[in-house]
Amino acid sequence: MRVLATITLLVLPAVAADVIVRRDGPVFRVAGLGTTEPAGGWSAVFQVHVGPQDLPPVMGTYVTEGSEVVFKPRFPVSDTVDCRVVAGGTTIVFPGKASSTEPSAHVRRVFPTAWKIPANQLKFYAEFSAPMEKGQAWERIRLKNSVGETVDLAFLEIEQELWDREGKRLTLLFDPGRIKRGVLPREQTGAALRAGETYTLIIDQEYRDAEGVPMKQGYFKVFQVEPEDRAFIDPAKWEVRIPRAGTRDSLAIAFGESIDGPLAQRLISVEGVAGAVELGAFEALWRFVPEKPWEAKEYKILVDTALEDLAGNRVGRPFDVDVFERITVRTDRRVVTLPFRVPRK
Amino acid sequence: MCVLLGFAALSAALAFAAEGPSLAAGKLELKSAGVLAFGPPGILFVGDTAAASLIAIDTGDRAAKKSNGAFELKAVNEKIAAVLGTSADQIQIADVVVNPVSQNVYLSVSRGKGASAVALILKTDASGKITELGLDNVKHARVSLPDAPAAEAKDRRGGSLRMETITDIGYVDGRVFVAGLSNEEFASSLRSVPYPFKAADKGAGIEIFHGAHGRFETNAPVRTFVPYKVANTPHLLAAYTCTPLVSIPLSELKPGNKVKGKTIAELGNRNRPLDMIVYSKGGQDFILMANSSRGVMKLPTANLDKYEAIVAQTEKQGVPYETIEALKGVQQLDRYGANAALLLQVEGGSVDLRTVALP
Repeated sequence: MRVLATITLLVLPAVAADVIVRRDGPVFRVAGLGTTEPAGGWSAVFQVHVGPQDLPPVMGTYVTEGSEVVFKPRFPVSDTVDCRVVAGGTTIVFPGKASSTEPSAHVRRVFPTAWKIPANQLKFYAEFSAPMEKGQAWERIRLKNSVGETVDLAFLEIEQELWDREGKRLTLLFDPGRIKRGVLPREQTGAALRAGETYTLIIDQEYRDAEGVPMKQGYFKVFQVEPEDRAFIDPAKWEVRIPRAGTRDSLAIAFGESIDGPLAQRLISVEGVAGAVELGAFEALWRFVPEKPWEAKEYKILVDTALEDLAGNRVGRPFDVDVFERITVRTDRRVVTLPFRVPRK
Repeated sequence: MCVLLGFAALSAALAFAAEGPSLAAGKLELKSAGVLAFGPPGILFVGDTAAASLIAIDTGDRAAKKSNGAFELKAVNEKIAAVLGTSADQIQIADVVVNPVSQNVYLSVSRGKGASAVALILKTDASGKITELGLDNVKHARVSLPDAPAAEAKDRRGGSLRMETITDIGYVDGRVFVAGLSNEEFASSLRSVPYPFKAADKGAGIEIFHGAHGRFETNAPVRTFVPYKVANTPHLLAAYTCTPLVSIPLSELKPGNKVKGKTIAELGNRNRPLDMIVYSKGGQDFILMANSSRGVMKLPTANLDKYEAIVAQTEKQGVPYETIEALKGVQQLDRYGANAALLLQVEGGSVDLRTVALP
């Protein structure tokens, strides 16, 4: 931006009557207005505008430096917009430069990575390669059925959008009203996903990144829908592969079904052991590689009961329980412990 | 964005006691500016989702003004963009509220749309002039929401992508209620935060169960809520994203409590509630609810306590409503004096702020 300002300065040293306007980095300098502030303030004789004529001027502060009046915008004027300086009856335009950034953003992956998912699938996570612009999800993301019709209101369209802090991962919740049995939206329009059908999740190439540039390519995920999963997660049914002492072999858990990937990464750990988690087999497999070799002793796998499978069923508690009394279990976080012993070599 | 009706007098009385001690002057950095609500006179609450916190700002804006009726600011997004030296596509308006004392309008805005976006609070009034609420040296207080992971704290697996989006806030009688939704586990929360904020008491989660709806509604996000008296007892009327209108007795909304809400209306499919206000007209109280597909709905609030709890249904039930056809594209709604509502309306690509007479 500094470079641009310097060039502008060389190309457009604007001289009209005795008024000289300069764009100097983020600030605008005008000579020839005198040093006595008019009764209406400097803005009465010196304003910076972007956009059409009838819009209010850019917000900022004025100071005098020597013979110049200096306007410092509250925010640096975007270098992609035309900017008009109106000073002492003269108008000078500093043209914005075209955005020349090459598209580079793309969708890295979507959780679940499985291509068979239950009809009561609760959410997708779309991971982008770069921070994305907020506020366009419900225009740029669609779900189509096998004959190419868009599934109406498949996702819960919350205008705040559920992003992570970096703006790289978007959570798409299926409208829970269309998953829960016996409630109005589902009775009226049915479930968003029907078992036996094939669907395509489409993220448009026009999805803009945080720089306003569309993606390099669009994203498609084709998946097949299986019957609803209304069984809770039962860690007692998991298969645990125990590593050997003295190695950094992975500790592995086969869940027997796909689990919510981000939750599996965050909510399953080995007590007191640092290491890295990887997921495999469409998130049906959790692998933990310790930083230091395993010792021949007892360890504990800690499973936060907030862990969910693809349909939002939790540890010991299905997603969808119909009787009030049945769910009076507190949703306080609890941890299920799975002890295991690493044998001697 | 919640405006009190039933509690107005009570809140005002508490307000002066509530001001002051917890608000220290200093620089306020907003990581994001989301939902807004006015509380005690001049005190603006801001939901900062990115910082996982709730902020109280003393705007100093306490000069009472009677409503002067109509107010219109067309293409407010373009005007804000112009003032901030950028193009309209770089501006996002998250919420709009009216200071009930001064009738000044406050907007939470982000300039830029990516991770480098700057959050700010703008102010405007019937003259249409847009100014910034200066945050360099402002009396404010911040409270972190419990269980929210610290922004920088990555766990050892590098997995701190969890965020809780604040979907609405509202002030009632010394407490700020905060509704939120996680981007990972399917869990929504309604928290009660005492104001003035106390460091030790960050407010605790409240679980709300609804008749026969199990976890579905327990964990479905509260999209918008409004405090209101039902049969002279303070309640929150909460609109869930998945259509039911639920009444919750305020006395039971205590940290750690498990509360049973009562579903008093099912507003039908395709109806995504966006914002709600309560008002009085001709001696009767009404709820006005903006929603994504029907324009604005008006519901009478008389005898809310008389409706049976809805436990299962296949069609619209409970509190009757009418649709105000003339009001389309309303995204935000707030009271503007006794007889008008302020709307943020998106119509034909133009984003306008305007007042309308209460229907």
